[in-house]
Amino acid sequence: MYEILQHTADVRLHVTASTLEELFADALRGLMEVMGGAAASDTRTEQVELESVDVTALLVDFLNEALVRAHVQRRSFTGASFATLTETHAAATLTSVPAEFEEDVKAVTYHEAEVRRGENGWTTMLVLDI
Amino acid sequence: MRKQDLERLDDFLWEIPRTYRGDMRVPGRVYTTERMLEQIVGDRSLEQLVNVTTLPGIQKYAIAMPDVHEGYGFPIGGVAAVDADDGVISPGGIGYDINCGVRMLRTRKTLAEVKPELRKIAHSIAREIPSGVGRGGPLKLKGGDLDRILADGAKRAVEIGYGEAADLDRIESGGRIPGADPDKVSSDAKQRGHDQLGTIGSGNHFVEIDVIDTVYDDEEAARLGIAHGSIVVQIHTGSRGLGHQVATDFIRRMMQAMPRYGIHLPDRELACAPIQSPEGESYLAAMSAAANFAFANRQIITAGIRRAWPEPIEIVYDVAHNIAKVEEHDGRRLVVHRKGATRAFPGQPVLIPGSMGTASYLLAGLPGAMDQSFGSSCHGAGRLMSRTQAKKQIDGHELRQRLERMGIVAEAASTKGLVEEAPEAYKDVDAVVGVVAQAGIAKKVARLVPVAVVKG
Repeated sequence: MYEILQHTADVRLHVTASTLEELFADALRGLMEVMGGAAASDTRTEQVELESVDVTALLVDFLNEALVRAHVQRRSFTGASFATLTETHAAATLTSVPAEFEEDVKAVTYHEAEVRRGENGWTTMLVLDI
Repeated sequence: MRKQDLERLDDFLWEIPRTYRGDMRVPGRVYTTERMLEQIVGDRSLEQLVNVTTLPGIQKYAIAMPDVHEGYGFPIGGVAAVDADDGVISPGGIGYDINCGVRMLRTRKTLAEVKPELRKIAHSIAREIPSGVGRGGPLKLKGGDLDRILADGAKRAVEIGYGEAADLDRIESGGRIPGADPDKVSSDAKQRGHDQLGTIGSGNHFVEIDVIDTVYDDEEAARLGIAHGSIVVQIHTGSRGLGHQVATDFIRRMMQAMPRYGIHLPDRELACAPIQSPEGESYLAAMSAAANFAFANRQIITAGIRRAWPEPIEIVYDVAHNIAKVEEHDGRRLVVHRKGATRAFPGQPVLIPGSMGTASYLLAGLPGAMDQSFGSSCHGAGRLMSRTQAKKQIDGHELRQRLERMGIVAEAASTKGLVEEAPEAYKDVDAVVGVVAQAGIAKKVARLVPVAVVKG
């Protein structure tokens, strides 16, 4: 689950989920909702794999990898299915559709990002630079 | 942070002392009035300024300009100078839009002469210069052609037919930052930006036609070729997706490298590396390449405006407001990070765009800038209201009507884009400029008001 919040210059996303996989997939959906403009057809899949120093960096790096692919391919990612997801390594299949983006997200920043596991599952804040 | 945490040094300068937090290496300084300070403490910009004071090698103080507002890592409207030999460089201190900046062009027309044609001119500019999300430009460069733009900036744009050699004399650093290395720019960044030269983009970027409504300094205005009533054009854009990706790539790389250099910071977005390290040197070379891409972008947009408006048009000046530069201050080589701040060397034109519907300013740097702010000034009005809040509070139809009543032609690709940049979403630019003028950082040369806005 994600919620889009205010930030003076940009946009904040608050993401909560019961599993880490869901947190990553929901954050990706939140990012793509901010960008908007997704078409409904011509679904395609592709692989992504990356390593980072910790789980927060892994999430931000995963989203930035999706972001650059989205900009270059002009496609919006509608889902992520993880073959592997540890705190430092992710391997996933991403699903995408063509998009004419309505918002130019420059980057997903590390600012305020902190993936935490609590009693009710996983949570983080994300600040998008737009 | 509360107002009482700051010490008032004079009417326009406040200090956050080192005692505020144990990890501060230098104090923080804020150029503002007491009234504006009450607004500034309403967001987290000053906590972010305190975080900046923790950077290894930072000199004298971290500085916030009166247009400061909350960013991510560094506040927007911030200046930090670090020792070039044993300090660090932080991509977050430049921002994602490397060399976002402003160019001002002067025409030989007055408002009375262009008024009947204004709508047509604005429409022609909108047709010549793509704006909005994902719009590609007239040039689709690859391989060596793109690399030459990255190496030589506006100079290369002129060589391939976009403008005249004389244009380069009126651009900060001649439109070409030395030391740029295209090989340090990732293929992702090149792919993201290869078709975006000559485009404005979205967000707060624009092309605006303005009329000079007040001249404060006749001599300086004459030197810059402008007069009361004359028409100028402002271009506000940067390095587009290419610069965004350079920042993303290097923030990630530096975050991974920081433990090796024993650097610990309060915010990951401040990720940095020693300037004299492989990561620091590579970033400086890649950032300079992205800055050159932005100078070329504004040069190619200028060519588009010249096509749309077949009258002689000359450049007044072009400044970067998101950049790090190697400069000498007090006999020492420093890397000055300016994020949402403009270089303001004595006599140099300083361009301060306001929001759509309010005023913009042409200033000239003063010696006081060298003494106080590492030769830096503010960069704009500064956001006050979030984009989300603006969309909730402002009616797009009403805004278009209001602009119309004010005599401003708006050519906007989307109403959403227009609403997000409404005048009430910004601070009072007159007050912001008043602070830098009264602090002796830059003097007012002219005030301009918009008559047509072209944006994404």
